[in-house]
Amino acid sequence: MTTMTPDRHDHAQVMSAPARVYGIMAEFETAEQITNAAKAVNAAGYRFWDCHAPFPVHGLDKAMGIKRTILPVLVFFAGLTGATIGFVLQAFTNAGSVSIWALVWVSGYPFLISGKPLMSVPAWIPIIFELTILFSALSTVGIMLFMNNLPRLSHPLLSNNRFRRATDDRFFVVIEARDPKFLRSKTEAFLKTLGSRHIEVVEDR
Amino acid sequence: MSVTLTHAADLSNESVMGDHRLVRFSRRAFAVGTIALIGAFALAWRQQDAHGFAMIWLQSAIFILTLGLGAFFFTLLQHATGASWGIAVRRVAEAQAANLQWIGLLFIVPMIWLVATNRDWHGLTSQGGHGHGLGLVWPWADLAHLTAEAPAEAALVAAKSAYLNTQFFLARACFYCAFWAIAAGWFFRTSRKQDHTGDPALSQRMRMMAFPTLILFALTSTFAAVDWIMSLSPAWFSTMFGVYFFCGICAGGFSVIALACLRLQSLGYLRGVLTAEHYQDLGKFIWAFGVVFWAYIAFSQYMLIWYGNLPEETVWFLARQVGDWSWVSIALLFGHFVIPFVFFISRWMKRWRQTLAIGAVWMLAFAWIDLYWLVMPVIPADVATFNTYDELAQAYAATSTGLANPVNYLMLVGFLGLFIGSASGRLATGAVLCRRDPRLNESLNFENI
Repeated sequence: MTTMTPDRHDHAQVMSAPARVYGIMAEFETAEQITNAAKAVNAAGYRFWDCHAPFPVHGLDKAMGIKRTILPVLVFFAGLTGATIGFVLQAFTNAGSVSIWALVWVSGYPFLISGKPLMSVPAWIPIIFELTILFSALSTVGIMLFMNNLPRLSHPLLSNNRFRRATDDRFFVVIEARDPKFLRSKTEAFLKTLGSRHIEVVEDR
Repeated sequence: MSVTLTHAADLSNESVMGDHRLVRFSRRAFAVGTIALIGAFALAWRQQDAHGFAMIWLQSAIFILTLGLGAFFFTLLQHATGASWGIAVRRVAEAQAANLQWIGLLFIVPMIWLVATNRDWHGLTSQGGHGHGLGLVWPWADLAHLTAEAPAEAALVAAKSAYLNTQFFLARACFYCAFWAIAAGWFFRTSRKQDHTGDPALSQRMRMMAFPTLILFALTSTFAAVDWIMSLSPAWFSTMFGVYFFCGICAGGFSVIALACLRLQSLGYLRGVLTAEHYQDLGKFIWAFGVVFWAYIAFSQYMLIWYGNLPEETVWFLARQVGDWSWVSIALLFGHFVIPFVFFISRWMKRWRQTLAIGAVWMLAFAWIDLYWLVMPVIPADVATFNTYDELAQAYAATSTGLANPVNYLMLVGFLGLFIGSASGRLATGAVLCRRDPRLNESLNFENI
């Protein structure tokens, strides 16, 4: 609702009830500007904020003070899990003569193949390998989606017309209203000092 | 759009032009290498084991050949893919690859000498007779002798004589070595020419040449592996052998590139030019090609032969599972795969110079052991008379690997000294960085995301 500067894309809408404020968005024109802005926002102590750029900007993660993700560590253990399951599955079905209850009673079925020992680990390695890859790959995608709160059907920023240029030629810093340091007037003034030509309050409709 | 430099690359002459520091380093390497070679020859003369020394020579020469070929492959790959990160590293690889200009002589000269003298080596070896001429090393070269020693094997080998005969073998060897020498020399000289002219057309020309050269590289390295290593056991065959050799090329070659970069920086070159980002990518190359791909190929080769269980194929592995050789096989499994796999899996281990250096030296050592394991074991002549593996293992429990022979290590240090001395001497004659490559700036600003 509140626009700092008139915008031909943004058709002013008269709302009957005041909408919840999602955050404040500041627009920048170069990668250098947004890198400097990110440093300043990080230094100011904001925690719930993000940068949006049309291409990966080198050094931006560092400027934002983002820590490395723990995803690779989790994937490593997912891979280990896959390897273990691959081994146990084959050891049980091919070489085990015990029965276990997995919804129904299932028994191992020791079976000699071409004179090889029952525990023929070389023959099992391809399956162990494939299960390692399968578990790692699926968990990479799955954990990544989970960590990013995806999939989601909508996002307040996506209904902002101005924000569309984040995929073209503009860079945005968005500070969210849920940030403990967020104070509409102060945050707006702060973003203005960073050299943004356009600052706008984004609402959660 | 202006790009912020995250670090300051020092492109002054002191940082990128080879000078007395490299010359001194090169001379030292030559000196150490020469002394080691003299020691190796003296010791080998006292041992009076022509066959043993020829095998050590072959294995050591193949080892530095793989280092040159690895760097050559790296150079070609950079051109062919148009990757920009490696431009800051490329000159080091090119100089290392240019050693291929003389490495071929280590093969060609002894081969021609063996053929020309056609000496009867019988009695001059520790393990009985080894035939005439090339038969000293490659049993197929003296079929009459092989027929007397192992008639069953000789019949199989005779069927391959259209390919495995002395004339064709020599002609092929000359072709491989000439191709490597000419191609690696051309890429090095063209790149150096760009240092003076700065002509972007040279980048394009090197790129266009990289594609056919890559194909010929694959063919020559595969056939060289088949000719020089696989035909040591001429009745045996594996269709994966060329790829296996290629993995060895990558393990050793990429490790030396990383170590050379670290050494150049410790000598005061390339200050700020090579960063943790470049080292991380070099580490990825070692890890991906030298560790993981090696294990993939080595296991694929092993499993097919193990599963098929055909006597003429399994003997090759049986020879590597008796006596001390079984320990070498196990050492390879852990030292060439399991340990470096875990060691290098974290990005920090590739970014920190110390850990990268430790990993690269480790991989270099195991690339050497891998070649030793490929070249040295001898398939027991009476292997077909045993009923079970246990019987064979018991009969050959005392089989020695020969790893205790100091000639191995003297030759290794000797050839490595020549290799390092030659490459660093070559670097000293000009820039140690492709300083006028049109895309150098991209490489300097490279960051892993």
